[in-house]
Amino acid sequence: MPKNKPKRSAPSIDMTAMCDVAFLLLTFFMLTAKAKPQETVIIDTPTSISETKLPDAGTITVLIGSDGKIFIDMAGQHTRLSLIEDVNSRYQLGLNDEERMKFANLGSFGVSRGQLKKYIDLAPAERSTFPVGGIPVDTVDINKSELADWIHNARLAQFRMKQEGKVKEEYVVIVKADQNTPYPAVQRVINTLTDINVNKFNLITSMEGKAEKK
Amino acid sequence: MSEIAQDGGGGHKKGGKVRSKKMSTRVDFTPMVDLGFLLITFFMLTTTLAKPNIMALVMPDKDLKKEDVEPVKESKVLTLLLGGNDKVYWYEGISDAKLDSTDYSAEGVRQVILNKMDKVKAQFQTETYKKKNKEGVEEERTDGSYVNVIIKPTKDARYKNLVDALDEMAITKVRYYVILDVSPLEEAFIKNPAGGLKFSVDDQIDAATK
Repeated sequence: MPKNKPKRSAPSIDMTAMCDVAFLLLTFFMLTAKAKPQETVIIDTPTSISETKLPDAGTITVLIGSDGKIFIDMAGQHTRLSLIEDVNSRYQLGLNDEERMKFANLGSFGVSRGQLKKYIDLAPAERSTFPVGGIPVDTVDINKSELADWIHNARLAQFRMKQEGKVKEEYVVIVKADQNTPYPAVQRVINTLTDINVNKFNLITSMEGKAEKK
Repeated sequence: MSEIAQDGGGGHKKGGKVRSKKMSTRVDFTPMVDLGFLLITFFMLTTTLAKPNIMALVMPDKDLKKEDVEPVKESKVLTLLLGGNDKVYWYEGISDAKLDSTDYSAEGVRQVILNKMDKVKAQFQTETYKKKNKEGVEEERTDGSYVNVIIKPTKDARYKNLVDALDEMAITKVRYYVILDVSPLEEAFIKNPAGGLKFSVDDQIDAATK
């Protein structure tokens, strides 16, 4: 047949360039992403219209679960190491170098000082089964309140680190509570904070409209 | 969609020697691109969602001195008592205070605050008052036409109620608000609104200044 058929080839496109772009972006996002810290307590924060974002570094977070148990988390490895060395020698917790290093990488914790050594020695997977009682708070005698002691010493440690030039900012106190936390539990934390002259702090909320509004 | 490209490279030539078939050096990247974009989507979503919002809260100093306390006009004060079951009890002023209740919706507590603001603005728009400045010299002030909201969460309230109340402060732009502890008198007032509120201003100042 004299008819000239146009040559048909498979519509294959060179994917190399697209692949390059995809992996470049992937690398970028992987490097900028921060690993989500392990949650010791599940907290469903209330919503608000506030649009201020949580600062990246220099935060000390007090978490209050829906059952009123108190947890605490400080940012910055240097500060945590300095803090635990200070607390360890003052209260004779008997933590060795390795355990202190583990504390520096611990994330949030909610055990009393007496239980801390036992808690740190557990494998990360076993910590979720540990019967955590929350950090003890004493609103009558502030000197006996472990929460006040942790926050006070952590702020001092951060201040030392700032003077040494290892961190840029002082600690901002953040309160993260569950929306169903009874108010007396929140009140205990707020009273503790004002007792140690932390009169300005931040409450973590999620974006309005994401969760149900009544 | 994804065929392996087979042109280029080993085509058969008729009649010639049988050569070993050359394999194509082209690789199809489509599945790899799919995977790449899938992971990108994953990382993008996890990073942007991880950052929560914060709401600043300033509490009054505990070591307040009695000399520093300046009484506000009773008619400017609106007290919100955050009760259980997502209910807000509220009253204006202190003497012959009438207890009323509402909820946290836009028509509820927000309207209460806005109504109070309108009332205070109408009453105090041009009012001037004298206040000692830091050097002890009296000077006239005119900016006193703002409502003062006192938020008192009761022990039955949950944390969400407090945040909702603070949110309303931000929405209605209330300039002066404070969170205080609820007093036993007010707890009795909630239980028995007809009994009235027997509040002494001096007791309040004493409680706030220790």
